[in-house]
Amino acid sequence: MPIVEKSLVTVDRSDRLEMEGIDVSGDWNTFLRSRVQTDLDVRILDWVRSQPQGDTISRCWQCGTCTAGCCLHTDYGLNEFNPRYFIYLAQVGYEEELRKYATTIWRCVSCNKCVERCPKGVKVEEVIHTIGSYLEFTGGAPESPADRFDRAYTENLLRRGVLDEASLFRTYERLEGRTMPAGEMLKMGFQLLRSGRLRTGPLAHRTRGWRQFGNVLREKLKEDERRRRASLSAAGGRGGHSP
Amino acid sequence: MSAGVSRGPTDSVPAYYPGCSLDGLGKAYEVTAQQVLRRLGLSLDRIVDYNCCGATEVKNLSQDVSVALPARNLALARSMGRHQVVAACNGCVYSLARANDAVREPATRGRINATLEEGGAPTYDGEASVQHVLEFIHTRAGPERVRAAVRRPLTGLTVAPYYGCLYTRPKRYTGAGRTPGADDPEHPHFLDELLEACGAKVLTDFSAKTICCGGGHALSDLDVAVAFSASILNEARRAGADLVATICPLGQINIENHLDRIRAAYGEEVLRPVVYFTQLMSLAFGASVAEARLRDNFSRPDLFLRSRGFA
Ligand code: SF4
Ligand code: SF4
Repeated sequence: MPIVEKSLVTVDRSDRLEMEGIDVSGDWNTFLRSRVQTDLDVRILDWVRSQPQGDTISRCWQCGTCTAGCCLHTDYGLNEFNPRYFIYLAQVGYEEELRKYATTIWRCVSCNKCVERCPKGVKVEEVIHTIGSYLEFTGGAPESPADRFDRAYTENLLRRGVLDEASLFRTYERLEGRTMPAGEMLKMGFQLLRSGRLRTGPLAHRTRGWRQFGNVLREKLKEDERRRRASLSAAGGRGGHSP
Repeated sequence: MSAGVSRGPTDSVPAYYPGCSLDGLGKAYEVTAQQVLRRLGLSLDRIVDYNCCGATEVKNLSQDVSVALPARNLALARSMGRHQVVAACNGCVYSLARANDAVREPATRGRINATLEEGGAPTYDGEASVQHVLEFIHTRAGPERVRAAVRRPLTGLTVAPYYGCLYTRPKRYTGAGRTPGADDPEHPHFLDELLEACGAKVLTDFSAKTICCGGGHALSDLDVAVAFSASILNEARRAGADLVATICPLGQINIENHLDRIRAAYGEEVLRPVVYFTQLMSLAFGASVAEARLRDNFSRPDLFLRSRGFA
């Protein structure tokens, strides 16, 4: 492995205030000696940072505030779900260790408490999802239930512009190989019909003039996935990923 | 980098973004929100050809698609001449505000506008601010006008106010805590004040106020979704609440969809009726249990409220 020297905490603010060569802007970074570590593999960090959802990863100074409040870690008690640690592993490039969490990282419920509280303005939740994408794209993680849901959801809304909730439910449950007991289905359907809330199939709401916009977005979606995977192989990401 | 400190221009009649939930499973929320607004002399102008905001799902697949979806709605609001968009779903508030944050960067805005144009939609100048309908009612009418509109105070009802996760979070997107008319991100209180004005006893220290319901993974991670929904109900039980009031269709639907599982795992005594806050307000403003659509909810608040003498 090549010896790489890299500062982990970067200052990316535009409003630095320097006087006679001294930063007096009051940014906490100015009190920190830049952390320089050697023997890093920065390929994961560089890829995550190159994604718009992951661009804030290098602000992280490992305080652990995100993990302390994370509802999965603290309330649900899933100790191995540790956003601070996931970020650390991505920063220093310990891919082997990161892969141990490939079947855990997708469980982030997007509550955004971490983003709210991060003192450094890291979009933790989006960074965590980006690290998850890295693992998925490099073959380090199987497609997770959350990935399947994200895709089913997106396909569903792109069809008419708005969600057909009942059809999303049916499609997703089929993807997971589950079937709702007929009794439960009837009970729910009856209650929804009674209140006029069940609008599915031909009755579903649709956005006027959606076809053109939907087609453009469908193309964008494919293009983005291609670009993300391609940038991974360009960055030299390892693992058996295919473009 | 951060959401604006000032809200920018306000409209006397802001645009209203219903979102898929309010036109679907959250119909009771939509209907009663309109009742409440009408009684308070407030109005909103519906964005007719709106599209789904993409919630928290689409951004995991593509940044540009996840920004273009809400941006199309914000652009429609701007072409209606509005500077303000009000939404009733926490997920919608989140993704609309997130799009605003993204298009603040000129390069992103250029790319998104090219996509909007290509798709036949108006372009977006980034000038529409986003507010939750709870914040809208609180800033425009406030507890005083709500109190004056009450015909049948909710005396004797103890309510746990449940705000959920994305109502104010993250402040980077919503501007919470430092924007006029936005609630506090760690200790939201607008709902407490409005329901108190309706005569209810509100548990202002309800510990599950801003926890996540697990709704984003309502189907994909059942264990978590059921555990989080159950802990909201269980905290409400511990605090002595009769009812839980929600401000988010995702939270409402997630909790109510898992009632059978919660009952099986934690017992009948954990269960509480769960209602949209506008259903309670509508009831306090004189609507009947049926008019406030309280029969729609799976948790059957209608039965409970009738037993407490509300017709
Ligand atoms: S709260 Fe922010 S700075 Fe602290 S460990 Fe988490 S991401 Fe890093
Ligand atoms: S958004 Fe995800 S990582 Fe952040 S606190 Fe919530 S569950 Fe934890």
